[in-house]
Amino acid sequence: MLAIPSATTLLVGLLALPSAVRAVFRDEVGHIDYHHQLLGLPQRETTFFHRPRKDDQGSLLYTLSDEGVLGAVNPGNGGVVWRQFLAGNSNNETAVRGGEGFARAGEGEGWVASAYGGEVHAWDAVTGRNKFWARFPGRVKDLEVMEMTESQRKDVLVLFEEEEKGETVLRRLNAADGSVVWEFREAIKDVPLQVSTNVEKVFVVFLKGTKGAYSLKVTTLDTLTGKRLDELVIGTKANLNDEEDIMLVGANSAAPIVAWTDAEHTTLRVNVLGLKTSQEFPLVDGAVSVEIHAPHLIQSQPHFLVHSRTATSNKGEVYHIDLKTGHVSKAYDLPLLPGKGAFATSSISANVYFTRITEDELILVSSQSHGVLGRWPLKNVDAKVSPVHAVSEVIRKAGADGNYAVRSAALTTDDEWALVRNGEVGWTRPEGLSGGVAATFAEIPESEELARSLEQEAHSNPIEAYIHRVKRHINDLQYLPAYLNNIPARLISSIAGTDVTSSTGKHSRDSFGFHKLVILATKRGMVYGLDIGNSGAVVWHKRAFQLPKAQKWDVKGIQVNESSGQVTILGANNDFVVLKTETGDVVSVKAPSPEATTQSTALVDTPVGMRLLRIGQKGKIGDLPIDQAPKQTVVTRGTDGELKGVTFIADGATAHESTSWIFSLPKDQRIVSVATRPSHDAIASIGRVLGDRTVKYKYLNPNTIVAAAIDDKAWTLTVYLLDTVSGQILSSAKYNGVDPTKSVECAMAENWFACSFFGQYTLRENSAQSLKGYQIVVSDLYESEEANDRGPLGDASSFSSLDPVDVPTGVALPSVVSQTYIMGGPISALQVSQTRQGITSRQLLAYLPESHGIMGIPRMLLEPRRPVGRDATPAEIEEGLFRYHPAIEIDPKSVITHERDVIGIKKIITSPAIVESTSLVFAYGVDIFGTRVTPSFLFDILGKGFNKVSLVGTVLALFVGVAMLAPMVRKKQINLRWSAPM
Amino acid sequence: MRIPTTLLLLPLLSGLTTALLQPQQPPQTSITIHIPPSAPLPNPAVLPPSTRATLNSLTKHHSSPLSTTNTFSFHNITPGTYLLDIHCHTHAFLPLRVDVSSSLKIEAWETFRGNDWGNKGEKVSVSPSPQSNHPSSSNDEIIILARMAGQKSYFMERSTFSVLTIFKNPVILLSLVSMGLFFGMPKLIENMDPEMRAEWEEQQKSNPMNALMGAASGQQSAGGMGNFDMAAFLAGSSGGNKEEKGGSGNNGGGSNNKKKR
Repeated sequence: MLAIPSATTLLVGLLALPSAVRAVFRDEVGHIDYHHQLLGLPQRETTFFHRPRKDDQGSLLYTLSDEGVLGAVNPGNGGVVWRQFLAGNSNNETAVRGGEGFARAGEGEGWVASAYGGEVHAWDAVTGRNKFWARFPGRVKDLEVMEMTESQRKDVLVLFEEEEKGETVLRRLNAADGSVVWEFREAIKDVPLQVSTNVEKVFVVFLKGTKGAYSLKVTTLDTLTGKRLDELVIGTKANLNDEEDIMLVGANSAAPIVAWTDAEHTTLRVNVLGLKTSQEFPLVDGAVSVEIHAPHLIQSQPHFLVHSRTATSNKGEVYHIDLKTGHVSKAYDLPLLPGKGAFATSSISANVYFTRITEDELILVSSQSHGVLGRWPLKNVDAKVSPVHAVSEVIRKAGADGNYAVRSAALTTDDEWALVRNGEVGWTRPEGLSGGVAATFAEIPESEELARSLEQEAHSNPIEAYIHRVKRHINDLQYLPAYLNNIPARLISSIAGTDVTSSTGKHSRDSFGFHKLVILATKRGMVYGLDIGNSGAVVWHKRAFQLPKAQKWDVKGIQVNESSGQVTILGANNDFVVLKTETGDVVSVKAPSPEATTQSTALVDTPVGMRLLRIGQKGKIGDLPIDQAPKQTVVTRGTDGELKGVTFIADGATAHESTSWIFSLPKDQRIVSVATRPSHDAIASIGRVLGDRTVKYKYLNPNTIVAAAIDDKAWTLTVYLLDTVSGQILSSAKYNGVDPTKSVECAMAENWFACSFFGQYTLRENSAQSLKGYQIVVSDLYESEEANDRGPLGDASSFSSLDPVDVPTGVALPSVVSQTYIMGGPISALQVSQTRQGITSRQLLAYLPESHGIMGIPRMLLEPRRPVGRDATPAEIEEGLFRYHPAIEIDPKSVITHERDVIGIKKIITSPAIVESTSLVFAYGVDIFGTRVTPSFLFDILGKGFNKVSLVGTVLALFVGVAMLAPMVRKKQINLRWSAPM
Repeated sequence: MRIPTTLLLLPLLSGLTTALLQPQQPPQTSITIHIPPSAPLPNPAVLPPSTRATLNSLTKHHSSPLSTTNTFSFHNITPGTYLLDIHCHTHAFLPLRVDVSSSLKIEAWETFRGNDWGNKGEKVSVSPSPQSNHPSSSNDEIIILARMAGQKSYFMERSTFSVLTIFKNPVILLSLVSMGLFFGMPKLIENMDPEMRAEWEEQQKSNPMNALMGAASGQQSAGGMGNFDMAAFLAGSSGGNKEEKGGSGNNGGGSNNKKKR
């Protein structure tokens, strides 16, 4: 057995963990946590139905989304079969800005090919395992499957643009193992657009010329060798202004075409690839966008559909191509219908069908004639559907009547992905929840009426208030019958351990504080309200504003005002939106301006309460009215990345900003991470009682931030602890051999902070030894090195960062105790759990980007004071310290997401509940995940493990026992009295 | 992630063409990691598709998905010393150290997290691929066998209520034994022969400790030493007067003695 020694070391490492790790119980899954397994918005070109097994009837729905997630969805129930997060797994040498993804499947093949960034993958269509992958320099511009090759297999064509060298490369990859069959290189600086094939040729379409006066160039290649056969330049009569106006369709069909419109969308020009001439067709008046739908199969008839949308309606026109002459002729028109509408193409052998989804029905037509083959009104849909794009699968039912069955997966304008099966909505997936950029917890607002009457009571004289109160209580009696009615159901559910579902549909707070709302803003301009007391269900969704294509909502700040029940979201482009937290009603909104004006926002304390302060570019804030000026120092980033402390000086009715300090980094250093203490950071005890009953006092300066700066050339990381009032460096530490290309993140809470990075360096104390791996450094801050000593400040009730107490030594600096641990994998999105009073020990929550989970590292494990090189003494054990072991393996028991596959988490937020033991956790990014963590176990409420049935059973059994024994005992006592004494 | 331009210029294409175009670039090789069937995982085909392997070194990061043949393939690996991790949802794997020398010789060892990087564990077998998948690549592919540590268990077992667990408690066991004695002894004595019983009682009388215990349990056997007066015994008036009843308790008995004097 070879694996034994190392397995034992791992075991020892796992055993060294404290037993205090609280894992999830299996019966809590789905009860305390929830997870939305998302893909992102499906894209029009990369979504398709595909049969993963040639002889199997069942097909799956594949998509490569705008988030870079390739996934297979079961069209029957909408469940995810497999997912691959392409955008999150790129190798750093091919990391590509602006992810544009491509996905295709070969008809009858058991694989799906995808390209993202510079990588090309082929995946097993059923299992989602990789078939092959390859990466090449440059960026993928198009991917196509060659349906017909000289051999049995179907190959993959990939078009690359190598911008550095100004070259275009087309490669034909062997679909069996990913090896290159041939390569075609073009060194002319034309913009490659697309690759298309028909039976005997491969066409590469380029954009030639300069912006505003483009023409098209089509290069024809031999399928066997990749040699250039021909090159054609198609005149566009200077009508082609933008890459966006070109529609490239019909790859793989018998007659691939290229089509484009002028900027005003008045005419459509179509060129059948391989011909020099193009034909012109007029478009519907007032068209704003045009799409072309054509089959992707070589055996399909060469028909295509032009879908033009005006501002209020849409229309379809079907065209036929004569294969011999290449002449394009219009076959028939589909009527102009109101609403957005979407078309989808599907083919059964040679026949091509177009499915049209309108606001209220699903219509199926054949490409041959305009006769409607099937018409299904949309059922069980509350509002009018406005599909953006759709894919369809058409099945011709067996039998003489020749009926058709259609299922269509459509993306709606509300960012939902819905499957419509013969007019009935099969499932909807809330894909819009992906791409979260900001989120916050919000309390469920108390009813306004109650708040108002309470206020009234507070302001009137005691007798009146008392009478008012009694009246209010009498009035409340009307709810008593309903409450009493509810009791049996609540009792039963409480014994059975199921959740009480609110029957009224109204959200109300619960006594534990678990029932809250989460407001989530996504990059697509949508705002969602999620009910975390009800498995994270979407309560409301609102589009804040319609963003132009390819523009992302860059949210800089989000804040909930609990008293007014409103949430404010500030964006980078001087935009904002204020919504009601309970209903999502928009209170006020301002659409984004074209240029970014906001660097960041800060939550500041002003005379009118907590407020989000907008910090402009280069850290400028500007003058503020006196009542809106922050009371504290605001830390901003200057033009060269330096940190600035800004205070506001009152001058009449306005307050002027004034820089109080500037912290300039040494040359070559740039700040990669900044951490502050959370706004709710309750501290239960100001000191730590040691084993010998002495106390080490925590350094609890509220005005501290941690800034981690990296030197890209020297590969060093410097972590600064700054006083935000004076700008003074309280402590700094430098780490050698830190990888600047991997993520560096910091978190801070109470009197400690932690930073994680990838490091590779030789030890300072022993240069013969070196280390490599993902690391986390934890630093504790104390007032003094000594126990029972409060340092230079002593028992002073106040201190000033600007006015040092101890002149010879300057500002009272904290005593720092640090320790480094090696993690079992990379971690990101660091966050510290929060509880109401801070009595519960803390947990450092971190996303594991490789293992797709969230880990809760107990603070006890990260304790920097753990004894090194010796076992802990009894006094230290009493303190909760145990021997230092440098490695922290990812213990599955500490993974709060347990078996769930959570991908693409960008940020984790936490919030205290009413019960002290519990902290609410919400994570967003691609997926949505939420749970409750109890770092010191569930000590103040009964968990699911408390068996109410057995408790009631025991009480009942005792009662029965007593009832049975009582007469027996009485009888015995009487007998005793009456019997003669012995 | 921001990438220094020098890295972007690294050749990403394996094959002779690039090698000729960019002769200054370091050599590259391909590595394949294979997951063999093992005791914790007899069938590696059950591993989830999200399983990935990463090769990490300073400023280098390679990531590869799990293939249909239970392998991870890495292309364009430049010389260096790498940390190989396999990230899987269902199973834990041991970290390996993979060294690629400048002559593209590949060696792999087990490594121990938190230990000196030079502290190499057992050498992992490295073999050239029997049938190279990439005829185009000039370098032989190398196969490294991954080492599995075991299955991951995410959940805590809930302690379930069972009668057996109650009986396993030593306190309960002890009390059960004493209860058995408590109820069983009188029955046992009653069933004895009269002779044996007399003998036994005699024996009991001669042992004051037993008598005390018998008295404490208030059983019939108290007939023998039931009236034993502790205070009198301690005061030295041996024997005591048997006629006197000690019903009012030992203390009372003691005071009576005093009064008599």
